[in-house]
Amino acid sequence: MRKVTFRINGSSHQFIVDTDRVLLDLLRKDLRLTGAKQSCDRKGQCGACTVIVNGKAVRSCLTKVANLDGAEVITVEGLGTPQNPHLIQEAYVLSGAIQCGFCTPGMIMATKALLDENPNPSVDDIKKALRRNLCRCTGYKKIIEAVQLAGRFLRGELTPDQVRPDPSQGLIGVSYPRPSAMIKACGVAEFTADIHVAGAAELAAVHSPHAHALIKAIDTSAAEKMPGVIGVMTAKDIKGTNRLKFIVPDRPILCDTKVRYIGDPVAAILAETREEAVAATQAVKVEYEPLHAMMTPEEALAEGALQIDPERPNLCYSQPQIRGDAEAALAQSAAVVETDLSTQTVHQAALEPEACVAYMEEGDDGDLPTLVVIGRSINIHFHMGMLQDGVGYENIRYEEAYSGGQFGIKLEITSEGLAAAAALHFKRPVRYIPGLTESMWLTSKRHAFDMKVRIGADAQGKLTAYAIDFTANGGAYYSNSNVIVNRALLMLSGSYYIPAIKATARLAYTNSVWTSAARGAGPPQANYALECAVDMLAEKMGIDPLEFRLRNSLKTGLPKSTGRTAEQWPFPELMEVIRPPYDRACKEAKGFNRKGDVIKRGVGLGTGAFGIGGPGDTANVAVELDPDGGLTVFAAMADPGEGNDSMLTQIAAHLMELPMDKIRLVTRTTERTTATGPAAGSRITYMVGGAMVDAINQLKAAMAGVNARTHEQLCAAGKPARYMGTKKNEEVGPLDPQTGQGPSFESQVHAVQLAEVEVNTRTGEVRVIKMTTAVDAGRVINPKNLEGQLEGGMDMGVGFALREKYIDGQTKDWVSFKFPTIDHSFEMETIIRETPRIKGPLGATGVGEMTLVPTAPAVMNAIANACGARVRHLPATPDKVLAALAEVKR
Amino acid sequence: MEGVNQDSQDNDPYRQKVRMLAGREIPFDGEGFFWDPHQWSEEAAEVLAKEGGLTELSETQWMILRFLREYYFQNGRAPLNRQIKQGTGISLMEMEALFPGGIKYGARRLAGLPNPKTCS
Repeated sequence: MRKVTFRINGSSHQFIVDTDRVLLDLLRKDLRLTGAKQSCDRKGQCGACTVIVNGKAVRSCLTKVANLDGAEVITVEGLGTPQNPHLIQEAYVLSGAIQCGFCTPGMIMATKALLDENPNPSVDDIKKALRRNLCRCTGYKKIIEAVQLAGRFLRGELTPDQVRPDPSQGLIGVSYPRPSAMIKACGVAEFTADIHVAGAAELAAVHSPHAHALIKAIDTSAAEKMPGVIGVMTAKDIKGTNRLKFIVPDRPILCDTKVRYIGDPVAAILAETREEAVAATQAVKVEYEPLHAMMTPEEALAEGALQIDPERPNLCYSQPQIRGDAEAALAQSAAVVETDLSTQTVHQAALEPEACVAYMEEGDDGDLPTLVVIGRSINIHFHMGMLQDGVGYENIRYEEAYSGGQFGIKLEITSEGLAAAAALHFKRPVRYIPGLTESMWLTSKRHAFDMKVRIGADAQGKLTAYAIDFTANGGAYYSNSNVIVNRALLMLSGSYYIPAIKATARLAYTNSVWTSAARGAGPPQANYALECAVDMLAEKMGIDPLEFRLRNSLKTGLPKSTGRTAEQWPFPELMEVIRPPYDRACKEAKGFNRKGDVIKRGVGLGTGAFGIGGPGDTANVAVELDPDGGLTVFAAMADPGEGNDSMLTQIAAHLMELPMDKIRLVTRTTERTTATGPAAGSRITYMVGGAMVDAINQLKAAMAGVNARTHEQLCAAGKPARYMGTKKNEEVGPLDPQTGQGPSFESQVHAVQLAEVEVNTRTGEVRVIKMTTAVDAGRVINPKNLEGQLEGGMDMGVGFALREKYIDGQTKDWVSFKFPTIDHSFEMETIIRETPRIKGPLGATGVGEMTLVPTAPAVMNAIANACGARVRHLPATPDKVLAALAEVKR
Repeated sequence: MEGVNQDSQDNDPYRQKVRMLAGREIPFDGEGFFWDPHQWSEEAAEVLAKEGGLTELSETQWMILRFLREYYFQNGRAPLNRQIKQGTGISLMEMEALFPGGIKYGARRLAGLPNPKTCS
C-alpha cells in the first residue's frame, strides 16, 4: 500500500492504494469518473482511457496510482460539460467526429495534450499524437479534421458559432450535430459498463479451451470456496430453455453436454468483485472429452465427418440460384474467367466490451418483479423475447445503454444471457463486464466464404453468365446464417445485368467461432468475388475496367439475379462521376511507375448495389403530439453510432416545422417503444424513417381535418394525439428453394470505389494512398453523418482487405486482431449524388453497410493493377502478395 | 440439396408460408404467427383456435384477444404479461390456462400479433 496525494480536475485527493492499482480503475471505480473507457484488457492498446497527467496524454490503464504523488490529472470530465463545453469538445461535435462515442473521451484528451503543446499541428503531428487511440467508426478522417478545427478555435481564428449550422439553411441536407454528440464528447453518455448498480456483484465466465469436446463433469467446489465468491452457475441452474434462439435453438447460454468452439461458455462465477470472479474461474474444474475439431467447411462436410449439432447435419443450409442456362452461355462466351477466392473470419471489432447489467426491480401491487437487463442490443424487443425463453422468465424489460460500436456484432445476444440468468439464479444485481478476450469469445464473427467462380462475356464485352459455388463457414452455431447466405444471393449480380446465373450457396456448421451479421452481412464476401472476377475478365478482354463496368450496368426493367427488376438504378451516373478521379489516378500511377522503383502504384475499382428493405421487412413508429407543441417519437431504434438520432430528429422537425429541440426520441426501452426491428441491414433511415413519416403524415392529416394547430385543439376536437406509422416491403416470401428466384429489396444504395495503392514488390507490403467513393444513397439528410459512414466503412474495408483476421485460439486482443490505427489511415474523398428514392422517406435510403462492400475488391484490383499480382484469398498480407508476385514471374 | 435439414428452413421466422384460412389466403411466418396483423379476422382466429384444440372461444378469451390487438395497434408491440393482467383483470395463471400454448405462443398467435422480429 502507498499513500499519495494528487489533484484530479483541479481538486486535491488523498488515496491509500495498492501499489498495482491503476489510474483507470481509481477513476472509474472509486471516483465514478467513467469518461475514460476500458476496451483492451488494460494492455494500453486502445487509448480509450487516455487522460492527461502533468500535461502529457497517458493511458490511465497503464498508469500506477502509486506513482502519482503530486501529479495534476485532468480527465474528460474536467474539460467541459454539455452546458459549458471546451472548444475541443465543440470541435469534435461540429466536425462529425463522434459516432458511437466510445473512443471520443480518450481522443479528446490526447488532442488536448497535443494542442496545449502545439496549437497548430500538421496532419503528421496529429497522427503521431493520436497513434495510440483506436477508433472503429470514423476511419480517423473526421477526427483529424476535428483536431485541426479545434486548433483554429484555440488560436482564435474561428469560433464554434461561425461553424455551427444556421437553422435558416433548413433541416434536410444540413450537418447538424447529432443530438447525442455533446454528452459523448463530455464523457457523460453512459455506456453499459459506466452504469452504477447499487450492491451489484460481478460475473465472470469459464470458457472452453477446446473447439469440440464433450463435457463429462464440472467440479465447482473449489471455486465456491474462493474469496468473495457468491456462487457458481452451470447449465442446470438455468430455468428456461438455456438456448438463445435466433432462428434455431442451438446456442446454449451455458453449455450442458458439449462445447462447440474455443470460447464456448460452460460456467459462470458471481463474486463481490470482478477480480475475485475471474480468479475463481481458474478453480472450476471441467472434465472434457475432446472430439475431433472441424475448423473448416471442407473438414466438416467430408464424408463421415462427426455431426456437430445433434439436430442438424453439418451442411445445415443450402440454396441454389438459377437464372437462364449459365453453362451454355459460358460455353458460348468469347471470354471466360475461372478462379477461386476466399474471405476470412473477421471480428466486427466494436471497441466496447460485451457488457451487460441485470437486476430485479420490485413490482407494484404484488406483481412479479421485473428482470431489468441493460446492455448493448440493437434489437431490444427481439432480444427480450430470446431472453424470456432462454432464462425462463417472462417479465423482462430490456434497456439499451449507449452502445460502443456495432457493425453487426450486436444483432445477436451475448452477455445478456449470462447476466440475466445470473440475476435470476443468485437473486443479486449483476454486472457482467467481460474483458476483450472474453468479449471476442462471446461474440459472433463475419462468415468466411470459400468461392469458386466462372464469369463470361461476349465479344462486345457484355456479360453472358456468372456461376458461383460458395460455402460459408457458419461456425459453431446457426444464428441467422441462412439470412446471411440468402443476402449474398439477393445481391449476387451486384451492379450488373447478367443474363444467366448459376449459384449454389452452402452453409456449414464447423467448430470455428460462431458467425452472424457483420457490416454488409454476406454481400461483402460474395461481391468481392464478383468484382475481382469482373476485373479479371475486363483485363483478359483488354477492356478498361471502368468501361467494362459501365457497359454491363443493370438498367431499369432488366432483372437482378433474383429475377426482380429495380425501379431505379442510378449506377451509370456514378461511374461517370468517378471517371475524372479514375483518369487522374491512372495517369499518376503510370507516371509513378515509370521510375521503375520496387514500389509500384496501382488503381482499382469496386462497385456494389446494396439492397435495403428486404422482403417482408416492416417497421412501426408511433408519434405523439405533446402538450407544449413538441413531438415525441416512440420506436426501439438503436443508435450505436450511425446517427439514427439525427435522422429521426431532422426529418421530424422538418415535417412538423419545429425546432429540433422540440423533437423527443424514446428509443431505448422495451417498455415504451414500438418493436421496429434491428438497427441492421442499413434499414433504419429507409424503414424506420419511413414509418415515422407515415405516422407524422397521419398526425398532420388529423390536425388538418379538424383545423387544429395545437395539442389542445386536437384533443378538444376528439382526435388522438398519438399515431402509429408503418413502412413495409409489400413483397414477401423466401427465394424459391429450387431456383433462388423471388422477392428482393425495395430499394438500393449504389456505390463505386476507387482504390489507389502502392505495393512494395520486395516486401509485399501494401499501402493504401487514397480511397475515393462515389455513392448515391438518395436524398441526404445529414451530409457529415453520411460521410462518416462512408469513411468508417472504407477504413474497415481496407482492414478486411489487407490485415484483419480472427483466428480461433490466437486472436485475443486488438494487436493480434490487427485493428487499423490512425497510422494506417489514408486520404479519402467522397462524391455524393442524390437520386431521390421513390419510396424512401423524403427520397432517402440507407448507406451504413454499402460503404464496405466495394472496398476489398477495389484494393485487390488495385494491387493487381500495380504489379500483376492477383491475391485471391483475403487478407492480402505481405506473404500472400509476394506469393502472388512469384506466381506472376513463373 | 442433400444433407440439408429442412427444419431449419421451415421454422425460419423470416420464411413466409401462405395458407388458406377462413376462405382467404393468409401469410404466416415460420413459427405460425400472422405475417401481417391486418390480415387477421375473427373467423381466422376461430379456425386457429379449433386447430389448437379449443372448440369455441369464450367471451373471456375474446376479451383477451381484443385487448392484445388494441394494445398492439396502440403501442406497436405485444404487451407483457403484467400489462395484460392490468388491462384485463385476469390473473396470469388463469390466462395461461385459457389458451393452449399459453399467452405468448397461444393467445398472441390467435390475436394475430406478429412475431416481434424483422431483419432484412
